[in-house]
Amino acid sequence: MVTNDATILHIKHQVLYEVAKMAWEGRLEEERDELPYRMIPGPQAQFRCCIYKEREIIKQRIRLAEGQCPVGRDSVNVVQVINAACEECPIASYTVTDNCRKCMGKACQNSCNFGAITMGDTRAYIDPGKCRECGKCAQACPYSAIAHLERPCKKVCPVDAITYDEYGICKIDEKKCIQCGACIHSCPFGAIGTKTFMVDLIRLILAGKKVVAMVAPATEGQFGPDITMASWKTALKRTGFADMVEVGLGGDMTAASEAEEWAEAYKEGKKMTTSCCPAFVNMIKQHYPELLDHMSTTVSPMCGVSRWLKQQDPETITVFIGPCIAKKSESLDLNITGNADYVLTYGEIRAMMKAKGVELEPEENSYQESSVFGKRFGNGGGVTSAVVQCFKEMGEDINPEVMKCSGGAECKKALLLLKAGRLPADFIEGMVCAGGCVGGPSKHKTEMEAKKARDTLIGQADGRNVHENLKKVGADQVPMHRH
Amino acid sequence: MKITICIGSACHLKGSREIIKEMQDLVAKNGLGDKVDLNGAFCSGNCVNGVCVTVDGELFSVQPENTKAFFEKEVMGRL
Repeated sequence: MVTNDATILHIKHQVLYEVAKMAWEGRLEEERDELPYRMIPGPQAQFRCCIYKEREIIKQRIRLAEGQCPVGRDSVNVVQVINAACEECPIASYTVTDNCRKCMGKACQNSCNFGAITMGDTRAYIDPGKCRECGKCAQACPYSAIAHLERPCKKVCPVDAITYDEYGICKIDEKKCIQCGACIHSCPFGAIGTKTFMVDLIRLILAGKKVVAMVAPATEGQFGPDITMASWKTALKRTGFADMVEVGLGGDMTAASEAEEWAEAYKEGKKMTTSCCPAFVNMIKQHYPELLDHMSTTVSPMCGVSRWLKQQDPETITVFIGPCIAKKSESLDLNITGNADYVLTYGEIRAMMKAKGVELEPEENSYQESSVFGKRFGNGGGVTSAVVQCFKEMGEDINPEVMKCSGGAECKKALLLLKAGRLPADFIEGMVCAGGCVGGPSKHKTEMEAKKARDTLIGQADGRNVHENLKKVGADQVPMHRH
Repeated sequence: MKITICIGSACHLKGSREIIKEMQDLVAKNGLGDKVDLNGAFCSGNCVNGVCVTVDGELFSVQPENTKAFFEKEVMGRL
């Protein structure tokens, strides 16, 4: 998979692995300060200006891996800037390149409404003090000589939460940040990361607690056609988890509950949105609070499965594993009872496994807890298909129009339409990651790379329907509303 | 009012889950759902005493058995 940070991913993973290994072996306290020196022995710097900066970055990554802010203690955000790693990318947004011929037409100058463009010795010059970043000059230039330089982190943020401090170091506006994590792998210097629960979980497992893993519906296909849900179950048990459940089951639970809500709303003519994508929920809460009444009150599949597990044994500690960063913020929202206690990404769980010498190994596709509809919850449009299936099973003759939004921009647009009272559809399916959860920031492979394996694995599942599946395991008895 | 309760492993082992459960029940019982915002927090490094709880940024150390008294004094008392 090609991401902006592909070449530095191994450093990120090495830190996670080393921290996990020290935590498993109970030597984190004594040895954490040695790790930057082990990883960056010097005397030559490899990536940055000097080894001291490289070591400081490793130190900040270790803090994140332990669930702390890279510096200081005062921020609750899950997504954090590793400020030593931020290279203060140029802020001048429009820049004239070598392509400029200082032509006679001067379309750039003529198109600029702010008088920001003058002619230099060899090319046009944009005065950053006057430029308002409208982009007209770049469109006007017949030689494509004006480049739009935008910080990669800022460019991908769907809610404009990225700003800079006076030194040009990236800062996250925590009132705006919806914890989607899109910025993390956009940064070519790997300067954004998230706090992890990895060390806490290792300590709880070592303390003998019953920790049960819940693996996201987006997982199947991510690690090839041979890595089945049964492979995960085996590997997680070997790592120290008491058991593992497929969250596709929660997809079935959420679909069944949402179908009831939607049916009622549809008859009343009330427009509604989904509530299973935590970044979408954060987007509504923080940016469109007036639309909260329209948001479904059904809890997420993660929460559904967690409640189901805790109903069977209240002592169970539940951990969600998936490609999602925003789920970490969902688990921290304690206004919802019974939700997952902790959340791990694929990278974090694999570091935990590897540090214990456990790998995901091919296994027969024998474990199935969910219908095919629940399994498809992690794809864009998956929630809608599952709800429509539930309508069929309930004998409801409803055919609602759903605006399926995939990616932050589409979600935002739909919410704006709903706010203005001009939403043409009956419902909004909101998925902040493009393609749905399978496009999540901590995915292992892209949606397209994983598609064939995913279709193969899900194609092997039996054709059970949603309601019968829930009834069989008693999941129809779990309260599925937020309060 | 924003309340955070540490869910790090040290606080977990000292009973943060019991405190969370009880606070959730107390919020529901007293109908404070729209006034009190309960949040989990990563470890803040103050692990030496009881479970780390903050109320609007002020740090307290709470034991599971004192949760009700704490809630009445520091939460209800401030509303």
